[in-house]
Amino acid sequence: MIHVHPVERAWIVMGAVMLAVFAAAVFTSSLMGGIALPVPEAQVDPRLVATPGATSFGEPGLRELAPGQYEARILAQTWAFTPKEIRIKAGSKVTFYFASKDVQHGVHVDATNINLMILPGQVSKLTATFDEPGTYNFICHEYCGVGHQTMFGQVIVEP
Amino acid sequence: MRWALRSAYGLLAVVVGGTLAFAIFQPVKVLPRISLAPSLWLTNQDQRSLTSETLRGQIVLYNFTYTRCGERCAAQTSVLRALQQQLADLNTGSVPVRLVTISFDADHDTPAVLRGFAAGVGADPGQWEFATGDAAALKRAVGGGFQVYYAQAPDGGFEFDPALVLVDGWGIIRAEYRTAAPALDRLLRDIRLVAEEASNSAGVGRYAYEAAHLFLCYAR
Ligand SMILES: [Cu+2]
Repeated sequence: MIHVHPVERAWIVMGAVMLAVFAAAVFTSSLMGGIALPVPEAQVDPRLVATPGATSFGEPGLRELAPGQYEARILAQTWAFTPKEIRIKAGSKVTFYFASKDVQHGVHVDATNINLMILPGQVSKLTATFDEPGTYNFICHEYCGVGHQTMFGQVIVEP
Repeated sequence: MRWALRSAYGLLAVVVGGTLAFAIFQPVKVLPRISLAPSLWLTNQDQRSLTSETLRGQIVLYNFTYTRCGERCAAQTSVLRALQQQLADLNTGSVPVRLVTISFDADHDTPAVLRGFAAGVGADPGQWEFATGDAAALKRAVGGGFQVYYAQAPDGGFEFDPALVLVDGWGIIRAEYRTAAPALDRLLRDIRLVAEEASNSAGVGRYAYEAAHLFLCYAR
């Protein structure tokens, strides 16, 4: 029998209780459905998402919001991004909106913090500033079928 | 020793239980703090300056349009007119609520034109203001700040995505409605929530609201 000092035992019990409570908290909140991930920006009907006029992804592409500030709406489908190329000037700030027309996709834009899941029915949004000229590839990183490896695009940042 | 330990456990249980209960039952609902609203430097229909600073401490619902928009914008205008009527009955405590319609057609929509338009839609000048400003600054604030896309078409009209934005008294964007005609009861509910938060956030109540933000107790 190992001897444990009562105070030490008290701390061990407290630690164990807290772990149990955190586990219970994660479990209950996931069951309650109240979890709000910071990523999904809005809901969109995947059956209508590619229909021109029905949603803002009907005509995907790049739009200038203000000088040096853009929004890019990119539609993901098996196995392509539309548009697959975006051209901007160095120093531009781009807010990306992604939506899926069919299955679950993902996206990572090179050298940025943009790393998202693209879930059918959800709009995913993140912003990045491109200071350095160059070509930034973005790839689908959620396996989405036999053509998955061909699913990519490019942000071309001109000097 | 014994009782000290017991009361420590008891305290821990109360804190943890209370936190869990708060997160699950969400007794306080808030709207998310989306981002800081852009600073504005506008001129209103009475040629007075209307800035984000003069609007501090007031809940402001912004919408973006131009007076020559016509039929396409009629639905939004009628929602705002209905909202203005409902706001008269809504008790928002000491927090004033204001509607601000920003025109991005600075060349055509002079204060005189805006005044005529305001009268035409039945706006109460004390509650609902119409404003415009320098084209480049507008583009930065409305396009860049509120992220509302608009561009002038060759015929002089505007191509734009309809949007309304709710900004609280601290100058923080709390809700965005990217639709031509949002539901009136949703607008009223959101304004009520922001007003309640502003008037109940004094003293200890503030911690309840901060906890609601921390646990993402967002009204759906
Ligand atoms: Cu994919």
